[in-house]
Amino acid sequence: MEEGADCVGDLYITADAGRLGAFQAKGMLQKAGWSKAIKNVVPSQFRSTQWTGIAKRARIIYYSPERVSANELNGMTYEGLADPKWKGRLVIRKSNNIYNQSLVASLVKNNGKNSTANWAKSVVGNMARTPKGNDRAQIMAVAAGEADIAVANTYYHALMLSGKKGAEQQEAAKKVMPFFPNQQDRGTHMNISGAGMLKHAPNKSNAVKLVEFLLTAEAQNHIVNNTFEYPMISGVSANDLVPGKDLSFKQDNKTSVKTYGAKQADALEVMLAAGWK
Amino acid sequence: MDTFSFHDYKADYNMRINTWYISSLLVSIVVSIPILTVFSSFFEDTSNYFEILKSTFLYEYIINSFILLFGVLIFTLIIGVGCAYIVSFYNFPGVKFFKWALILSFAVPAYIYAYSLTAFFENFGTLYSIIKSILGPGEYNKLIPKFDGMLGAILSISFSLFGYVYVLTRASFHYQSQNLLELGQNLGFSRSKVFFSIILPSARPAIVAGLALVAMETLSEFGAVSFFGISTLTTGIYDSWISFDDLAFANQLSFFLLLFILGLFFIEHISRRKAQYHSPSRGGVKQKKKLNLKGSKSIFAFSVCFLVFFISFLFPVLQMFYWTIIFPKNLLDLNILQLLINTIYLVFLSSAVLIIFSFIANYGNRVTRSKFLNFLTMFSITGYAIPGVILAVAFITFVAWFDNNIIKYYELSSIKKIFIGSIIGLVIIYFIRFYSLAYNGLKSGYERINRSIDESSYLLGYSKIKTFLGIHVPYLRNSIFLIGILISIEIIKELPITLILRPFNFETFATTAYIYASQDLLEAAAVPSLFLILIASTFILITSRYILKD
Repeated sequence: MEEGADCVGDLYITADAGRLGAFQAKGMLQKAGWSKAIKNVVPSQFRSTQWTGIAKRARIIYYSPERVSANELNGMTYEGLADPKWKGRLVIRKSNNIYNQSLVASLVKNNGKNSTANWAKSVVGNMARTPKGNDRAQIMAVAAGEADIAVANTYYHALMLSGKKGAEQQEAAKKVMPFFPNQQDRGTHMNISGAGMLKHAPNKSNAVKLVEFLLTAEAQNHIVNNTFEYPMISGVSANDLVPGKDLSFKQDNKTSVKTYGAKQADALEVMLAAGWK
Repeated sequence: MDTFSFHDYKADYNMRINTWYISSLLVSIVVSIPILTVFSSFFEDTSNYFEILKSTFLYEYIINSFILLFGVLIFTLIIGVGCAYIVSFYNFPGVKFFKWALILSFAVPAYIYAYSLTAFFENFGTLYSIIKSILGPGEYNKLIPKFDGMLGAILSISFSLFGYVYVLTRASFHYQSQNLLELGQNLGFSRSKVFFSIILPSARPAIVAGLALVAMETLSEFGAVSFFGISTLTTGIYDSWISFDDLAFANQLSFFLLLFILGLFFIEHISRRKAQYHSPSRGGVKQKKKLNLKGSKSIFAFSVCFLVFFISFLFPVLQMFYWTIIFPKNLLDLNILQLLINTIYLVFLSSAVLIIFSFIANYGNRVTRSKFLNFLTMFSITGYAIPGVILAVAFITFVAWFDNNIIKYYELSSIKKIFIGSIIGLVIIYFIRFYSLAYNGLKSGYERINRSIDESSYLLGYSKIKTFLGIHVPYLRNSIFLIGILISIEIIKELPITLILRPFNFETFATTAYIYASQDLLEAAAVPSLFLILIASTFILITSRYILKD
């Protein structure tokens, strides 16, 4: 960051639109001049003038089929995580985590700050334990019986199922089931991993070409099978282990991922005010 | 350097003064930069970003730092003093082995300990696998205790730092007078009364000095607390710089942290002096008789030492080794040779610079006996007390400020590239952090060379430079070797400075392990961690005689 004009990179490639948005807000990025090829394949809610999504992920609910009935989950939403019926049954990671900040930012955008502040308080009241660990640790907590439902990104569960994290985690992953929230209203919270054009990028046009390449079917196939994310372009399928791999679930296409950066400070504020560690 | 060859006394004297003073001044200025930067930034406005939340953060950082400190001090006190007592006063099978095996814990940095602890105890972790392979499938996760969060951080830091208390306390026990112990026994004191009313009080300064070192390292610790997601002053400094892009707030946090450290620094300093005062002169020591333990007492002593050795060293090594075997792909994916080359490169360059400046300072102090020079040197070695995160962030603040205000004003080309994200910047900050290690190491070597040797050399017509190169350097060869190894151990384990200031794509074993762990690839962190521990252990074994010198 202190490199300034001496920057040697062109692109800032990272996970989460909230992170890209914050980077943009700091003035570290510039207008990228995305080509037609890019704009045609990346829907407008997944890009800004300075950065664009390369792959997608959903932040969903994982539950224990042994302890959570289909009835309980019927019509489940993110808003529903505040329902007192989940008291002592929910695990989710810390408030400093960017995925949570983006999820809460989308709630601030859709429901307003006051309503989200109340929601956060109830969610904290429902937690089975003080937040700790990464998304996989939340899924494993459900598998181990520490909690009944967890909030985690889709690729983590697939990664565990793949066996790349060892036989025990594969076993754990099989004990939980995915659930896509908000199917009856705006759809499931989507996020991206993406690339932003750095302010002092020395080779801007090559950087655009690289992003164009990352959005070809060939590159997308490679990405989705290694990161277990959803493809950004249509015509490519996610890995078989990823829940909803054909993207047949209803995605929240109404809330632009740009709002995750814009509402990040509000999101963190309501979480901290609620005592979300 | 050719100033040494001047034979005219007066010219020689003047030039000599200049060389020592310039060099010592230079070092002092470099060391003072981060301190001054932190103190001047304290009054600067911080950015408005999250302004409302800052007071909450500050409160949490300070509370957490204190809880951590308190926990680690209690653990290291019990483990360090306990082990030192057992190996100093009793004979039992394996006592000679444990005497040095217990310092191998220095080879395991707290952050690697944290990875092992998590890997072993987490849900579906290694312990779960072990139980399952013995008892068959079952719901064991709920029965397995979880060592994470604050408790995990306290344990990780304690087991990697108790060695300081152990080493200093053991040295102090070694000199305890047999007469005093016999006096206690003649008075009819029980062994526990002898321990609490005679042994412990007279070792107090050494114990306090050890605990002060532990405290400074704990407050500076970055890797383990950031892994466990605990917000302390150190992680706060890093986060405000990385996440909030708020160097001013980072420096304000540094200010608070430095105040605490300063207090500990004085405690340590005073205790060390007292420790010297308390140790009886060599001539007066009657060789202490160790009590031979038999039967269950011997088994107990052995078990305690083995348990500490196992938990502090074998456990993390075995966990990392296990992971390397379970996930062999990570071994092949890692460019170990490149990491080794990078590490050796940093170690050699830093050691060379450190040793050269330590030589100049030591020799300068020896020939001039100037009080001012001595003061400058004393100031220069305080850098070891400043946490690595503060050094790195303050250095970046200073270079950015210097570049924006001085360099731009004179329309010179930017110096940021030279100092930030470069080997030069890295070596400068290593220099500040490890100068005391090099300087004091050389000093203790120099003190063994009698001044009359210098005078004889001059009488024989040797110039100063010839005396220096022909007599001092060969005499101090062992010291130089030793210092080189000690610096290597520190640099191999060092995390925050390297992480913040390293050049783009330049990794060490420490940064590779940290980055894998923070990217949720804990099992991939095993290979670099294992190499780091193995190299550091080898170096510790080489220098164990020096570390354990009585």
